[in-house]
Amino acid sequence: MSYLSIRGLHKSYGSTPIFSEIDCEIGKGEFITLLGPSGCGKSTLLRCIAGLTGVNGGQIILDGQDLVPLTPQKRGIGMVFQSYALFPNMNVAQNVAFGLRMQKIKGSEAEQRVKQVLELVELNDFAERYPHQLSGGQCQRVALARSLVTRPRLLLLDEPLSALDARIRKHLREQIRSIQQELGLTTIFVTHDQEEALVMSDRIVLMNAGKIVQSGDAESLYSAPVDAFAAGFIGNYNLLDADAASRLLLRPINSRVAIRPEAIQLGVQGAIEGQIHSHRLLGNVIRYRIEARGVELLVDVLNRSPADLLASGQRINLNIEDNAICEVA
Amino acid sequence: MSLAENKPAALYHRVVVWLLFLILLLPLAGTLLYSLSTSWSASILPSGLTFKWYVALWSDPRFLAAFAQSLLVCFAALLLSVLLILPLLFVVHYHFPKLDGLMNILILLPFAVPPVVSSVGLLQVYGSGPLAMVGTPWILIGCYFTVALPFMYRAITNNLQAINLRDLMDAAQLLGASTWQAAFLVVLPNLRKGLMVSLFLSFSFLFGEFVFANLLVGTRYETLQVYLNNMKNSSGHFNSALVISYFFFVLIFTWAANRLNKDRP
Repeated sequence: MSYLSIRGLHKSYGSTPIFSEIDCEIGKGEFITLLGPSGCGKSTLLRCIAGLTGVNGGQIILDGQDLVPLTPQKRGIGMVFQSYALFPNMNVAQNVAFGLRMQKIKGSEAEQRVKQVLELVELNDFAERYPHQLSGGQCQRVALARSLVTRPRLLLLDEPLSALDARIRKHLREQIRSIQQELGLTTIFVTHDQEEALVMSDRIVLMNAGKIVQSGDAESLYSAPVDAFAAGFIGNYNLLDADAASRLLLRPINSRVAIRPEAIQLGVQGAIEGQIHSHRLLGNVIRYRIEARGVELLVDVLNRSPADLLASGQRINLNIEDNAICEVA
Repeated sequence: MSLAENKPAALYHRVVVWLLFLILLLPLAGTLLYSLSTSWSASILPSGLTFKWYVALWSDPRFLAAFAQSLLVCFAALLLSVLLILPLLFVVHYHFPKLDGLMNILILLPFAVPPVVSSVGLLQVYGSGPLAMVGTPWILIGCYFTVALPFMYRAITNNLQAINLRDLMDAAQLLGASTWQAAFLVVLPNLRKGLMVSLFLSFSFLFGEFVFANLLVGTRYETLQVYLNNMKNSSGHFNSALVISYFFFVLIFTWAANRLNKDRP
């Protein structure tokens, strides 16, 4: 029995459909990421779950209760926004206490709970500061604390890391994940960043153009994309059409094929002859552009030593294992 | 900094700034001195200094009435603006953001039509019939409301755009606040700055308004500017005291507006 179940949900603005027939089951304590390009409907789906946007049909059942007829105030859902949405006229403690104030929880109990969540996000020294005196990462941690203090049944995170710089983003995503696990909080996280999705989630729901394309854990999504979109969005797959694939692999293939660039081995006794076109250094990985049998391929190789670098124009043998060849729709 | 410390250039810049100050302040200084002098006609400097013109002015019941009436009309118009514009802005920006474009055109109308022209129109509409209120302060309050509208709308709109209204409202509602609670506890306190600045600006502007006051109401409900106009044939010293008093009052308001502009919310 799943904790949150979304059934046949659809939403349109006028005659423009945003998403339709969304079905999704989420277990208690799961961390689910909605991943997709901007405009795919993932943020709207999140807002519909929160009740900030109405739906045109379907059900959202949380812990046995249909949320659709309820106002956002009554849903018991916490949400963190990309823009932080901290109240500028209140200091950190007042921001965090706002939800308790609305629930008429006052006095020492309120103080205690505010203190607890501020400790959880490591901001207890900042209780008296105002939002404009905080950095972006600190603001987002306050926003997280504010949404946790009311002990929500479900936590929604709408691209909470997108406005932060890379270093803080990495730190905060680990912090969010560990807090979520500590509290066993069912969480839906929205992002367009595949790395974030892969690192943080129990399960990823990949969306495109208002539809769920594929859902599963990071491994299955990364190693077995169901279609060309999934292959294109996650990782840097080599996507070959049936003709090119047949030519490269010297056997008849009737569908498109996706091959991960790191699954192609170089320099071994490979069956396929190719020539290095160019290379780019991505830090720990070197990405070669190689032409083999008239097909251009990207190949990622771990950057072990500068001496191993292959020069442009050099001839090289490639090996592609059968299980690295993924037929996609 | 190094550019400013370049001596000849710095000197030149200073001279220009001081010259500008001098040109702007000279008439005011002259008026101030004139308002403080016993008599000043055939000599370079006044023959003596006195406060008697200020005493005469501030003990003239007609002046005090005009001053109070000006204040009353301005405050009433601004109160009306706040009561109407705040909810309007809230509705436009939260529920119908597309209306903002239309509103921007509408609020410029009071600027597009010269006061003399719109006065004639207002006299036609409100001169007789069921809505006859020419000659009463009511028409002035309504008219000033339209004059204050652009100031208020723009300043508060800028403020609203800076605070990300939608996310704040959403966040407050998810934390259990009703729409009213969210508006009063979260949005309104953050509009204080824009609201105060626009109120002070509008006040300074309306307090010095003459055309509408003179054409629509005139001496039947004398405001400060109309009183000043009616006093133009009395003593120049007396009028100078009036101008300086008026100027000083507006100066304090402008200063207060500036102070509020600098403070963080």
